Amino acid sequence: MTANGDATVKVVPVRHYGRWVGVAVVGLFLAMVVHSLFFKVASARIVCHVISGVKVCQHAMVYRYQWNIVGQYFFTSEILHGLLRTIFLTVVAMVIGIVLGVTIAVMRMSPNRVLSSIAWTYTWFFRGTPVLVQLLFWSFIGAVYPHLTLGVPFTHVTFVHFNVNTSLTLMEACAIGLGLNEGAYMSEIARAGLISVDEGQIEAATSLGMTRRQTLRLVTIPQAMRVIIPPTGNEVISMLKTTSLVSVVGVIDLLGAATNIYSENFEIVPLLIVASLWYLLVTTVLSTGQFYLERRFARGALRTPPPTPIQRLRTDLAGVASKFRTRRGIEVSA
Amino acid sequence: MVKIHDVRKSYNGVEVLKGVDLNVDRGEVTCLIGPSGSGKSTLLRCINHLEKHDSGELRVDNELVGYEMRNGRLYELTDKRVCENRSRIGMVFQRFNLFQHLTVLENVTVGQRKVLGKNRDDATFKARELLARVGLKDKESSYPSQLSGGQQQRVAIARALAMDPKLMLFDEPTSALDPELVGEVLEVMKDLARSGMTMIVVTHEMGFAREVANSVYFLDGGVIEEYGDPRVILITPSSERLKNFLSKVL
Repeated sequence: MTANGDATVKVVPVRHYGRWVGVAVVGLFLAMVVHSLFFKVASARIVCHVISGVKVCQHAMVYRYQWNIVGQYFFTSEILHGLLRTIFLTVVAMVIGIVLGVTIAVMRMSPNRVLSSIAWTYTWFFRGTPVLVQLLFWSFIGAVYPHLTLGVPFTHVTFVHFNVNTSLTLMEACAIGLGLNEGAYMSEIARAGLISVDEGQIEAATSLGMTRRQTLRLVTIPQAMRVIIPPTGNEVISMLKTTSLVSVVGVIDLLGAATNIYSENFEIVPLLIVASLWYLLVTTVLSTGQFYLERRFARGALRTPPPTPIQRLRTDLAGVASKFRTRRGIEVSA
Repeated sequence: MVKIHDVRKSYNGVEVLKGVDLNVDRGEVTCLIGPSGSGKSTLLRCINHLEKHDSGELRVDNELVGYEMRNGRLYELTDKRVCENRSRIGMVFQRFNLFQHLTVLENVTVGQRKVLGKNRDDATFKARELLARVGLKDKESSYPSQLSGGQQQRVAIARALAMDPKLMLFDEPTSALDPELVGEVLEVMKDLARSGMTMIVVTHEMGFAREVANSVYFLDGGVIEEYGDPRVILITPSSERLKNFLSKVL
């Protein structure tokens, strides 16, 4: 309370003039971008109308990015089929990559020298050669191994035998190729996660009588997930777009479908936009999934889990509302 | 219960244990004291085979730790057998080492279910009983990070007890605690000692050693310098080194 009985004293917040200038500059650029994206401009094409007997000619007004064409092709079956292939390749390649990555990471950390050297060599080879080369190799795998036989070398013992050319589709070969490449990158991510778990956790599990395998499955991997998930999310999103390389070997994915269409009608930019918008859409879904997955595996690591975007929006809105409702000021005692 | 004879252990050519002898009878509480680096923790970790000793004889419940004697040869035990033996020896660590991703209840049930193969209901029943015993009945759904150090250590004791151990090892259980939290952990340990549990405790709590221990071993430089009844050796130590050590910690 101040001497005259006034409970609060007005607080003047610091004014950030530099920031205001920054906001104005950024706002100007944003307005220009919005204008160029969503407002019609005069094109080279001239259209003429006869208005009350007088012929009037003018440049046709069009969207710079031809949104009408984007909309026209957005849901065509060719694009949607391409999208499905892209999603299939991403999912299969990532599943192979993650399983392989964790296996190689565990092998790499094995006390057995042979296992750890094999793991190291695998990573060295698949990270060291371009993924495009690997993809080309796998698409021609049928030429190198027309028949695939698993057995003991130099003997007649065979376990499995199958004809590569007839039973392996080009798309499956691509998925395997991308997956094997991804395995090398995932193994380093998984290894980072595994070594981030405190040694004491492993000792505690061991002292309870857990075997190495149980310790890994029940204690190490669940805690490593916290470190593994963010870069893995990165890898999934990166893989989504890396799959566009398969169009080189003739698999028609999302980008391939767009390319096919624009090579016929020459609407290059709108079709690239169609493909990009689909990539963005899938990326958004994946990022959201990653957020909730991270939250799930953060259990116990944080005292309070981070708010979901909806919760955050709610508190933000409540904060803004309360700013308008209450007078600014703090109580000062005399 | 525990018989140790001439046990030696080196790390990278540095001998940490230089022939240690130690005997613990069933139901006895033994404290290991000594300056840091004297080999107390290493000795304790050898007893449940977290560390392999290089030579000497180490028996728990009359069975060799980590080896088996057959036809006059020592066979190293398979991992599975080592794990089986280890599950009956409880261990409590200086830094608690509770599983961070599991709740208190899950911490106490995971070993019972996955190692001993108990079903969920039996494991939960036993876990609740033990949590009540260490005074943490209402914390079963908390995560370790939400508990104080003293509470975490009491959960760690409950987790070890859930395996029905025949022997409990404590590796400086109160050294990482704030002073005002030491009491609650020592109280649980005293209660455990009164119930007849065989315990080997590495500690700097001389009060606890004097009050609870049946015998105290003083380790220095990898050898047992002196051992005996705590009421005798902690008050009238005969070796110069123990006198010196006690004058620093008391």
